[in-house]
Amino acid sequence: MMYNGNPVSAGIATGPAYLYTPFKPVVEKKEIDEAQVPQALAQYEDVKGKARAELDAIRDKLEKDDPEKAKIFIAHQDILEDPAMDEEIREVIEEDQLSPESAIAKVYDKFARLLSKAEDDLIRERVADINDVKNRLLRIWFGVPEKNLSTLERPVVVVAHDLFPSDTATLDRSKVLAIVTEIGGATSHSAIIARSYEIPALLGVPGVMDLLTDGETVVVDAVEGKLFTQADDATLDLYAKKREEYLVKAADLKKYRNVKPVTKDGVHIAVHLNIGSAEDKDLAGQDCADGVGLFRSEFLYMGRPELPSEEEQVAIYTKALDTFGADRPVTLRTLDIGGDKKLDSMELPVEDNPFLGLRALRLCFAHPDVFKTQLRAALRAGTHGALWIMFPMVGSMDDIRRAKGMVDEVKKELDAEGVPYGDHVKIGIMIEIPSIAMISDIAAKEVDFASIGTNDLCQYLTAVDRLNPTVSSYYQTYHPAMFRLIGQVVRDFNEAGKPVSVCGEMGGDPLSAAVLIGLGFRKLSMGVASVPSIKKLITGLTIPRAEALARTVVDMSSAEEVEKYLRQELADLL
Amino acid sequence: MYSRKVTIQNRTGLHARPASDFIACASKFKSKITIKRVGEEDDANAKSIVMLLSLGLGQGTEVEITAKGEDEVEAVDALVALIETKFGEE
Repeated sequence: MMYNGNPVSAGIATGPAYLYTPFKPVVEKKEIDEAQVPQALAQYEDVKGKARAELDAIRDKLEKDDPEKAKIFIAHQDILEDPAMDEEIREVIEEDQLSPESAIAKVYDKFARLLSKAEDDLIRERVADINDVKNRLLRIWFGVPEKNLSTLERPVVVVAHDLFPSDTATLDRSKVLAIVTEIGGATSHSAIIARSYEIPALLGVPGVMDLLTDGETVVVDAVEGKLFTQADDATLDLYAKKREEYLVKAADLKKYRNVKPVTKDGVHIAVHLNIGSAEDKDLAGQDCADGVGLFRSEFLYMGRPELPSEEEQVAIYTKALDTFGADRPVTLRTLDIGGDKKLDSMELPVEDNPFLGLRALRLCFAHPDVFKTQLRAALRAGTHGALWIMFPMVGSMDDIRRAKGMVDEVKKELDAEGVPYGDHVKIGIMIEIPSIAMISDIAAKEVDFASIGTNDLCQYLTAVDRLNPTVSSYYQTYHPAMFRLIGQVVRDFNEAGKPVSVCGEMGGDPLSAAVLIGLGFRKLSMGVASVPSIKKLITGLTIPRAEALARTVVDMSSAEEVEKYLRQELADLL
Repeated sequence: MYSRKVTIQNRTGLHARPASDFIACASKFKSKITIKRVGEEDDANAKSIVMLLSLGLGQGTEVEITAKGEDEVEAVDALVALIETKFGEE
C-alpha cells in the first residue's frame, strides 16, 4: 500500500516501524477531604522532586553531547520551578481540595491557555514545553516509567501521532532512520528537529498509527512524500537504489551551498533568499546569500487577532536589515493579503474571484492606515542596512504613482515629527500582472527596481487559478509565453540600468533558472533549500550556453517541449 | 515598596534566554517582585517564567519593576541593571 505525506526533511529510508506512543495522561477531576490535604501537598512535592531529578539527569547527559538541546530542558526546569504555578497548584489543593494530579492538570492547562494567546510565535511555542512538563509530572504520579527515544535497541522508523520537544531532543540520532507522524507541517517542531538532524521525515500521514503494526518493514520516501507498506521485492530494491542515489546527490549538492555563484565564464549571478519572517530559522541562510530578494511581510499579520504595531514592525525589519548589513539589500514586500491569504484582524470582502479582487496593493489603498503604518515602520527601520521596498500586485502606472505618493506622504509626516528614517531606501515593484509586464519600459523609468513573481504572473498570464486542482495541468510555468514576456521585462530593465530579479518558484528551479540567466537576469531569489542546486547550475554554466537555451525555448510551441528540451540539455548540471 | 521604570533595549526583548536570565536574577531575592508595562494594569510575578512570557515584553517596551520586602531596593536595582546590559546582545 502507498500513502501520501508531507516531506518536511528530505531523504529515503527503509526499516522496521517503531510505533511510539508517548504517555498520555487521562485525568479526572477528583476531590479530596480536608484531612487529606497535608498528604496531597506532600505527594505533589514528591512528584515534583522526582521530575526535577529526571530533568537534571537528561540535562547533564545533553550538556555533554548536545548543549543546544540541553536548553530545552533548562526551560523545562524553569517551568517546573515556576513560583506562580507552584503557588497556584498548592492553593488548588488546599482551597479547592483537589487531588494532586487534578490540581497539576488544572493549573498547567490554565497557564498553557494563557501563553497560547500570546502574539509572539516563540512564546506560543512554549505551550508545548508546558504540556511536556505536565505530562512528565502526571506520568510520575501514575507510576509509569519514562519512555523515550533515547534508548532504541536497533535502527527504526519512528512512527507517532506527534512528537513532543522532549521526545525529539533526546532521540538517538544513530538509531532513527526516519520519522513519520500523523500531524504536523513544515514549520512544526518535529520538522525543524528532523531537518537539523538530517533525518528523513514525512509528516501529516493521517491515521498512520492504526495502519501499521509494530516492527513491520516500511519504506519512507521523504523526497516525493510517500510511505509504502508491505512493499514487494521490486519496490524494496528500487528504494535501496534510490536511497544510494539520493545520498550521493545530497552530499554532492551540499558542497555548493557556500560557493560563490559565478558562472564558468566569470559572471556573478546574485543569489538572494526568500524569507517569511525575521526569526532565526529564516535568517540562518544568510551565510549563503547575497541579500534578501523577497521578505514576505504578510506573515507578520497572519494568525493573530490584531494588526502588528509600528514598533513591532520596526524591530522585526531592523533585525533582518542588521543581519544582512549595508552591502546586502533586504527587499521588503509590502502586505500581500487577499487571494488565498486571509487575516483574523481585518474583515476582508467575500469575492467570487479573490485572485482578481481586492488584493495586496489594492487592499492597502483601501486601508491607507494599515499601509501607512507599514511604510512608516519600514522607512524608520531603513536607517539600518540597505532596504528596498517592493509593492505587490501592480497593474498600471497609476498604481505605481499612487503608492509612491503614499511613501512621500509618510516621509513628510516623519519629517514633521522629527523622526529619522532611511534616506537611501529604494522603491520597486513586483511584476506579476501581465499589464505591467507589457509596459515594463515605461515602468522602469519610475521605479528603482523590479522583481518578477512568476507564480502569480503564470496564473494571470495563462488564466489558471493556481489553487484549483481541476485546472492544474493548465498552469504551465514552462509555457513559452512566460519566457517571452519575462524576456521583454528583463531587457527593458537592463536597458534602463535598473536591477531586476525573479523571486517566484522559477528562480529556484534549475531548469527555469538557466533560461532566466540566458534571458539576461543577474539576480535570482529563492528559498534557502534551493540554493545548493541553483549554485551548482550557475557554477557549471556559461553565459553563451544559457543564451542559446533561452533563444531556443522562446521559439518552442509548448511547455512540454520546453521542459523535455531543458532536462536533456542540462542533464549534466542537475 | 520600591519601584523603577526602564526600557527594554535588547533585540529579542524579554523572551527566551533573556527571560530565563531575568527570572534567575529575580529569584535570588527574598522580596515579592512584580513587572508590568508602564501604563497597564496587568502585572506579573517577576520570578515566574510563564507569567513573564505571557506579558510579551518586546524591544522598546517601557516596564515598571516593583519589589516589596527586606531586599526590595537591591532587587529592583539589580533587575534594572540587568535589562540595561541588554543581556549581552550587541
